[in-house]
Amino acid sequence: MPDEALVWLIPALPLAGFLVLLLAGRRFGEPAAGWLATATCAGSFVATVIVYLGLLGEPEDERHFVQILFEWLPVGGLTVDLGFLADPLSITMALFITGVGTLIHLYSIGYMHGDPGFARYFVYLNLFVFSMLMLVLGNNLLVTFLGWEGVGACSYWLISFWFTDEANASAGKKAFVTNRIGDWGFMIAMFLAFATVGSINYSDLFASAASGQLAAVTATGIGLLLFLGACGKSAQLPLYLWLPDAMAGPTPVSALIHAATMVTAGVFLMTRVNPLLAAGYEWVPDVIAWVGVITALFAATIAIAQNDIKKVLAYSTISQLGYMFLAVGVGAYVAAIFHMVTHAFFKALLFLGSGSVIHGMDGEQDMRRMGGLFKLMKITAWTFIVGWLAIAGIPPFAGFWSKDDILLGAYNLGGAEGRALWAIGLVTALLTAFYMSRQVFMVFFGEPRWHQPVEEAAETTAEGAEAEEAAITPRAHAAEAVHPHESPWLMTLPLVVLAVLSVVGGAVNLSVWGEDSTFLERWLQPVVGANEVEITVTTETKVTLALIAVAVALVGIAVASTIYLARRLRPVEPKVLAHGWYYDELVTSFVGGPGRESFEGVAWFDNNVVDGAVNGVAGGVRRTGRVLRLAQSGFVRAYALGMTVGVVIVLAYFLTRLTF
Amino acid sequence: MSAALLMLVSPGQPLPEDPTPITMPGIDWWALGPMLALVGGALVLMLLSTFFRSRLFTGAYALVTVASAGTAIGLAVPLWRRVQDAGRGPYSTLDGAVGVDGFSVFATVVIASGVILAALLFDGYLRRERLEGIDAYALLLLSASGGVVMAQANDLIVLFLGLEVLSIAAYVLAALHLRRITSQEAGLKYLILGGFASAFLLYGIALTYGGTGTTNLATIMGFFNSSVLENRGLVLAGMALMLVGLGFKVAAVPFHFWTPDVYQGAPSPMVAWMASGVKVAGFAGLLRVFVVGFQAYEVDWQPLVFGLAVATLLVGSVLAIVQTNVKRMLAYSSIAHAGYVLVGVQAASDEGIRAALFYLATYTFMVAGSFGIVTLVGRRGDGRHDLDDYRGLSRERPVLALLFTVFLLAQAGVPLTSGFFAKFYVITAAVEAGSTMLAVVAMLATVIAAYLYLRIVVSMYMADGDDEEVAPAARRSSISIPVGAGLALAACFVVTVGLGVWPGAITEVTRDAVPQIVALG
Amino acid sequence: MSSNPSFDILSVLVALPAVGALAVALVPRSRSELHKVVALLFSVAAGAVTVYLLVAFETGDPGYQFEVDHTWIGDFGISWHLGIDGISLFLVVLTALLFPIAMLGADPHHDQKPYYVWLLLLEAGCLGVFMALDLFLFFVFFEIVLVPMYFLIGGWGYGNRIYAALKFFLFTMLGSALMLVGIVSLAFLHRDHLDDRRDADIAAQVDDVESELADLSNQAQSDPESITSADQDRFDELSRELDRLSAQRGETSKLDFDLVHIAEARTVVDDSSSANPMDWSAARWIFLAFALAFAVKVPLFPVHTWLPDAHTEAPTAGSVILAGVLLKMGTYGLLRFGLYLFPDAATFFAPTLVTLGVIGIVYGAIVATMQKDLKRLVAYSSVAHLGFIVLGTFAITTQGLQGGIVQNINHGLSTGALFLLVGMIVERRHTREISALRGLQKVAPIFAVVFTVVMMSSIGLPGLNGFVGEFLVLIGSFVTRRWWTVVAATGVILAALYLLWAYQRVFHGEPDEENRSFGEMTWREGLVMAPLLGLIVFLGVYPKPMLERMEPSVDRLIAHVEDNSDFREPTVAREGPREVAEGEEGDE
Repeated sequence: MPDEALVWLIPALPLAGFLVLLLAGRRFGEPAAGWLATATCAGSFVATVIVYLGLLGEPEDERHFVQILFEWLPVGGLTVDLGFLADPLSITMALFITGVGTLIHLYSIGYMHGDPGFARYFVYLNLFVFSMLMLVLGNNLLVTFLGWEGVGACSYWLISFWFTDEANASAGKKAFVTNRIGDWGFMIAMFLAFATVGSINYSDLFASAASGQLAAVTATGIGLLLFLGACGKSAQLPLYLWLPDAMAGPTPVSALIHAATMVTAGVFLMTRVNPLLAAGYEWVPDVIAWVGVITALFAATIAIAQNDIKKVLAYSTISQLGYMFLAVGVGAYVAAIFHMVTHAFFKALLFLGSGSVIHGMDGEQDMRRMGGLFKLMKITAWTFIVGWLAIAGIPPFAGFWSKDDILLGAYNLGGAEGRALWAIGLVTALLTAFYMSRQVFMVFFGEPRWHQPVEEAAETTAEGAEAEEAAITPRAHAAEAVHPHESPWLMTLPLVVLAVLSVVGGAVNLSVWGEDSTFLERWLQPVVGANEVEITVTTETKVTLALIAVAVALVGIAVASTIYLARRLRPVEPKVLAHGWYYDELVTSFVGGPGRESFEGVAWFDNNVVDGAVNGVAGGVRRTGRVLRLAQSGFVRAYALGMTVGVVIVLAYFLTRLTF
Repeated sequence: MSAALLMLVSPGQPLPEDPTPITMPGIDWWALGPMLALVGGALVLMLLSTFFRSRLFTGAYALVTVASAGTAIGLAVPLWRRVQDAGRGPYSTLDGAVGVDGFSVFATVVIASGVILAALLFDGYLRRERLEGIDAYALLLLSASGGVVMAQANDLIVLFLGLEVLSIAAYVLAALHLRRITSQEAGLKYLILGGFASAFLLYGIALTYGGTGTTNLATIMGFFNSSVLENRGLVLAGMALMLVGLGFKVAAVPFHFWTPDVYQGAPSPMVAWMASGVKVAGFAGLLRVFVVGFQAYEVDWQPLVFGLAVATLLVGSVLAIVQTNVKRMLAYSSIAHAGYVLVGVQAASDEGIRAALFYLATYTFMVAGSFGIVTLVGRRGDGRHDLDDYRGLSRERPVLALLFTVFLLAQAGVPLTSGFFAKFYVITAAVEAGSTMLAVVAMLATVIAAYLYLRIVVSMYMADGDDEEVAPAARRSSISIPVGAGLALAACFVVTVGLGVWPGAITEVTRDAVPQIVALG
Repeated sequence: MSSNPSFDILSVLVALPAVGALAVALVPRSRSELHKVVALLFSVAAGAVTVYLLVAFETGDPGYQFEVDHTWIGDFGISWHLGIDGISLFLVVLTALLFPIAMLGADPHHDQKPYYVWLLLLEAGCLGVFMALDLFLFFVFFEIVLVPMYFLIGGWGYGNRIYAALKFFLFTMLGSALMLVGIVSLAFLHRDHLDDRRDADIAAQVDDVESELADLSNQAQSDPESITSADQDRFDELSRELDRLSAQRGETSKLDFDLVHIAEARTVVDDSSSANPMDWSAARWIFLAFALAFAVKVPLFPVHTWLPDAHTEAPTAGSVILAGVLLKMGTYGLLRFGLYLFPDAATFFAPTLVTLGVIGIVYGAIVATMQKDLKRLVAYSSVAHLGFIVLGTFAITTQGLQGGIVQNINHGLSTGALFLLVGMIVERRHTREISALRGLQKVAPIFAVVFTVVMMSSIGLPGLNGFVGEFLVLIGSFVTRRWWTVVAATGVILAALYLLWAYQRVFHGEPDEENRSFGEMTWREGLVMAPLLGLIVFLGVYPKPMLERMEPSVDRLIAHVEDNSDFREPTVAREGPREVAEGEEGDE
C-alpha cells in the first residue's frame, strides 16, 4: 500500500489524544497531559511527512490521493463520504499545521504551567488540531465544513478559556457567532452546489466547472458565498471584529489558532476552490482582491495605534491575511500559500515571543509599561527581532520573498487596477514595517517603564492614547513589583526553531531567481496550475519592484526608530485609529441598541399579541357566558317569557315554510 | 302497510270517520308487560306504606323498586326477541295506540336501568337526609312507567298521556326534599313551566288532528304519503308546538330555562333520574313523532332542529363554564348533551336514530354516575355543591375522585370512554346526512365544554395539591358511601369504560332498534 | 410485504406500558419504593421490544412491517391496525428510549403512584400514535395522550401549572376536534368514490349482458329453429346474471377507516384547481382540518403559545416527553396523514406550511434569545427546531423528508437531554431564572461539559447529531424552496446566539454565594445522560444505519405523492451528480 494510505492517521492521532485526555485528562495531570498532547501532534506531523514523501514520489499529475473512510450522509442523490484528499495543497497545509502545532503544544506546556485548567487546555488544543486537519484534508465541502465548524468551536472554548472573566466569555461568544455569519454563506454555497451539480465533492464540482456545464452565475454564487465564509473565518472586512477580542485567550492559542492556522483557513478554501472562482464571472477575483487589500490597509492603520502587545499582532495578522486574499484575487495562488506558510512561521514566532514577554512580565500586556527588556530576555528578544524583520519584509528573511511575490502578482495584473492594488499593498508594507518596529522598540528598547503606573508610562510614550486602555488586561495592575525574567527552555526552544524557519523559510519559493528555484510553485502546480496567473513582467521589473519594497520597509523602520527609539518626533497615534475607526463600537452599539430592541419587540409581540389572542378568545367565551347568564334570572315569569319567545321564533320559522 | 292505510284514508276526503264499529280492541298484555311491572311496583310500595309507618324498611323499598324495574327489563327481553323475529316483527296493539318495536323496547330497557340507578342512589340519600322514602320510590316508578308509555306511543294522545304521567311524578320528586326550600322552589318552577310546555304539546296535537284528521301516527303517515295538502298551515303549526313541548322535556334551548334551577334545587338522585330517564323518554317521543311520523315533512323541520341543536350546544357549553356550582354546571352540560342528541335527530336517518339511541344509553350511565357522586359529596343537607367542596377530593376519597374523573372525561368525549363513541356516532350521522357544519359546531362545543369538566378535575386533584391539609377533618369524615350508591357507581363505571373499549356491544343492538310504525297488530 | 412474527409484537409493545400502569396501580400506596421499580421494569421491557424491532426490521423494505390488523368495530370498518415502516421505526424507538430515561432522570416530589401510572399510560398512547395505521385508531391514541400529560403537568408541575395544563389540553383538543370531523368526512368520501366506481363498472357489465341478451332474443325472433338448448341455458344464465348485477348496483358499502386503503385507493383527489376557498374541493378542507390539528401539536408559528407554558410548568419528565415525543406527533402526522393521504392538497398548501415553518425557525429563535427563564428558552428553541422539520417535510425531497425525520429523532435526544439538565439545575437551585445562575462551570465542570455537548448538538455542530438533521433538511429544501431555505439557514446563526448567550450567563463568570454550593453531576445523573450523549455523538458521526432504514419508505412516499399530484421531485435530489457534457445550464 502506498505511503499516502497513512493519511487517515494524520487526524486520527490528535483525535485519539483528545479522547484520552477528555476521559482521563485529570488523572494525567500536569505535565503528563501536555506531553501526551504534544506527542500525538508530533506523531501526526511524522505521518504527514511520510504522506508528503509518498506524494513526492508520484509523478506530478498523480499527486492526488483520495481515501474514503465510510459513507457519512448517503441520502438519495446526495452522497457525502467521510473521505480525505491528499494532494500537494492539503499536505502543505497539514505539514505546517502539525509542525507549528507541535511547537506550540511544546511551548504551551511551559506557558500553561500551574494553570488549574492545564489538562482541559490540551483537550481543546488536540481537538483543534484534529478539526483543522479535517478542514484541510476533506475531499468534499462538508468534511471541510466539519473541520471549519470544529475549529470555530475550539476557538470559542479556547478564547473563553479563563471563563470566570466575563470579558473572555463574551469574546468567545462573539467569535463563534460572527463566524457563524460566515458559515451561513458556506452552507448556502453547499446547497447551491448540490442543487445545481448534485454533489458537494470537490472532484465533481471541479469536473462540472471544467466542462463548462456549471453556469457562470452559479459558480459566482458559490464562490462569493464561500468567500463570505472565508471572510468570517479569516477575519476580513466586514467580519474581522472577533479577532482582536480573541486575544483574550492564552497567548499560544493566539499563536496557533489566530495567527498560524485557523485564520488562514479562508485563504486555503479560496485556493481549494480556485476552479469554481475561475468558472464564475471575471469580476469575482477582483472582489476578493479588493476586500483583501482594503482589509490589509485598514488593519495596518489600526495596528499603529495599539498599545496592547497582542492587539498589535492581532491587527497585523488581519492585515497579513488581507495580503493573502489579495494574492488569491490576482490569481497568485502560490504566492498566497507561500505567504501563508512564511506568515505561519514568523507570526507564530512573534505571538509566542509576546507570550514569553507577557509570561516574563507576569501577565502585563500594555507595551507602555514595558521597554528595555532586551537585556533581560535575550533569547526572546533576538527571536522576536528575527520575526520583526521577517514581517517587515527585509531580505533575506522569509516574509520578504512571499510578500514580494504578492505585490508582484498585483502589479502583474496590469492596468490601473493592478497599479492601485500594488500601491495600496506597498503602503500597507510601509505601515507594517512601521508598527512592528514601534512594537519592538517599545517592548525591548528604551528605558524600563514597568514600575510606573500606566498614566506616566503613557506620558513617556504616547499621548493621545488614553489610560483606560490599560484596562484591556485584567491583570494589568495586579502585579506592582514586576521582575521580568527569561522564560524556561520549553518556551524558548520553539522560539528558536521558528526563528530559524523565519529566516530560511523563503527558500521554498525564490521566484525572482527564476524557474528552478521555485519549488513550491511546481509542487502546487497540479492543484492551482490551471488558474495560476502567468507572470509576464520582465526580470528587471521584478528586481525593481523588490528593491522598492525593501526601500519602503526600511523607511518604515527608520521613521519608527526616530519616533520611538530616538524620540526625535512626537508619536502620532490618533484616537480614531486606537479605536479601530470606531467600527467595533458602531456594530456593538447597533447590536446592543436597535438590534436588541427589535428582538425584545418580537418577544413582546409573542407574549401580548399571539398569546394575547389565545387568551382573548378564551376570555371572550367566558364573557359571552356571563352575558347569557343574565337571562337566567330565576324568575318563572322570565322563563315563561323566554319560552314564549322561542315559541314565536319556531312558529315564525314555520310560517316562512308556508307557500300561499 | 301503506295499502291498508289507503283504505283508511281516501284522498280529498277531509275528515274520514272510522269505518269499524266500536269494539273492545284486542290487548296484547305482553306488550304492556314492562309498563305494568313498573306501575305494579308503585302500587306495591303504596300498599306497603299503609302497613309500615316506620322508616326501617327504606332498604326494602329500594329493593322493591329495583326488583320491579328489573322485572320490566326481564319482560322486555322476550318482547325484543319477538320484534326481532323475522317472522313476526314489530306490531301494534290497543287499536294501534301502542307500538311495539325494537325502538320502544330499547328505550324501555334504558329507562328501566335509569330507574334502578336512581333507586340505588335514593336509598342512601333518603337515610342520610332522614326523609320519608316510600313515596319517592313510588313516584320514581310511576314517572318511569310514563316514560315507557311515551316510548311505545303510537298515537299522539298516548304520547301526551305518557308525558303527563312522567312529568307530574317528576314535579313531585323535584320537590321531595321537605326541609330544603330550594327543593320546593325547584318543584314549583318545574310544575309551572312543565304545565306551560304540556299545553303547547296538547295544542300541537290538536292542530295536527285538525290538519290530518287523526292522532294515530300510522294514520298520519299514511295520510301524508297518500294525499297532498294545499294548505299545510295547520300541520306546520302543529309540528311547531309539539316540537316546543318535547323540546322542553329534553331541555333544548330556548326551552331550557327551567333546567339549571330545577337541577340545582331538586334532590340529587332525582336529578340523576331527570337527566337520564326523563331525557330518554322525551327523545323517544321526539324521534318517533318527527323522524318517523313526520318524515314527509323532513325538509320543513330539519333546518329548525339544526338551529335548535346549534343553540343548545353552544348555550349549554358556554353557560356551563361560567358556573361555580357543580350541580348547575352539570345541568348546563346536560343541556349541551341534549344538543348532541339533537344533532342525531337532525340527521333524520337510521344512522341518526342509532347514534341518538347510543348517545342516550351511554349518557344515562355517565350522568347517573356523575350525579351519584354529586349526591355523596353533597353530604347531609344535600348542600355542598360548590366547586370548592370538591377541593382535594382526590386525597379524601381517591376512588370517588377517580370515578368522577372518568364520568367527566366521558362527558368530555375523551377516547376509551363511551362518551367518545357517542359523539363519534353522532358526528358520523351528521356528516353522512350532509350537515357537516353541524358536526363542526358540535366539536367546537365539545372543546368549550371540556373546560368545565377539567375545572372540576382541577379542583379535585390540583387545587393546592402540594400542601397536605386540603380539607378540614370534619368534612373528610362526612362523606360516606352507602352500598346502593356504591353499586350504582360501579355499574356506571363498568358501562362507561366497557362501552368505551367495546362499543360494538350496543351498536349492534341499536341497529335493530330503529323505530317502525305499524298500523294494526 | 411485512415480515410478520408469530405473534402481535406491536400489540404487545402497546400493551406493556398499559399493563405496567395497572401493575403500579395495584401496588399499595404504602410500598412507595416499589412503584418506581415496577414502572421502570415495564418501560424498560417496552424498550427491549423496540430494540428487537430495530434488529428484526428489514432494511430496504419500504412497506409496513410487523403488521397486525384485527377488526375492532366491524360495522364502522374500524380496526386495530398497527405497523411500522422506516418513517415510524425510529420514532417508536425514541419513545421507548426516552420514557425510562425520563423516569430515571427525575423523581416526583409527591404521589409517586399516580405519577408513574400516568407516565406509563402516556407511553402506551405515544407508542400507539406512531404505529396506528387506522385513522380512527390513530385519533384515539392522539387524543388519549392528552389526559396523562394533563395530569402530569397539573399534578406535578411548577407554580403556574394549572393554567398551563388547561391551556395545553384545550388548545390541542381544539386543534384535533376538527380532525375528527375530517376523518369521518374522509371515510365517507372514500366510500362514495368506491361505490361510484363499482356502479360504473357494474353498469358496463350490465350493458354487455343486455346486448348479448338482445342478440339472443333477436336471433330467436328471426329464426326460432336456430335456438339450441345451450342458447336457452345461456339466456337464463344471462338473465340471472343481470338480476345479480342490478341487485348489487347502488347499494352503499361499509365505511373503512384504514389509512393504507384510503391512501392507496386514490379516492381522495383534489379536483379543484382554484385558489378561491369557496370552490375548494373537499380534499383541501379535510386536509386543513388535519393540518390544523398537527400544526397545533408541532407547534407551528401562530398556534405555538401553549408550548412555552406547558414546557415551563411541566415537571422535568413531562418536559422531556413533551419535547421528545409529543411534538413529534405533529410532524409525524403531517408526514403520514398530510402528505400520504392528500398528496394534491398537501402540495397545494405546501408553500403556506413551509412559510409558517420558516417563520417559526427565525421567530422562535428570536423569542428564545430574549427569554429570562431557562426552561422557556429551551421551549422556544423547540419551536425553531420543529420549524426545520416542517420545512423539510413540505419541500418533498428525499433529503428534506429524511432530514425532517432525522431531526425529529435528534431534537428528541438533544432537547430531551437539555430539559433533563435544566431539570437537574432546577432541582439544585430551585429557580429557572437565568439571572439567578452564574459561574456553574467553575463549581461543576463535568456538568458543564455534558451541557456543552448537548448544547452544541442543539446548535448543530457538525459531528454531533443535531447537524445531520438540519443540514439534510436545508440542503433538501434548497432544491425546491430556495429562498425559504436561505432565510431558514439564518436560524443556524441565531441558535448559536441564544444558546451560547444562555450558557455564558449560566456557566461562565465567577459563581456567587448561592451558586458556589452547586453540586457536581452525580453518578446516577451521569448514567441517565450517558445513553443520550452516546447517541448524540454516534448519530452525528455515523447516521447511515438510520438513514438507510428510512430511505426506502421515504422514497415510496415521494413516489406516491408524484403519482397522485402534479408535483415532481427534481432529479438532482434523487440521482445526484449529473454526468458531465450536454451542457444544459444548471441554474434556475
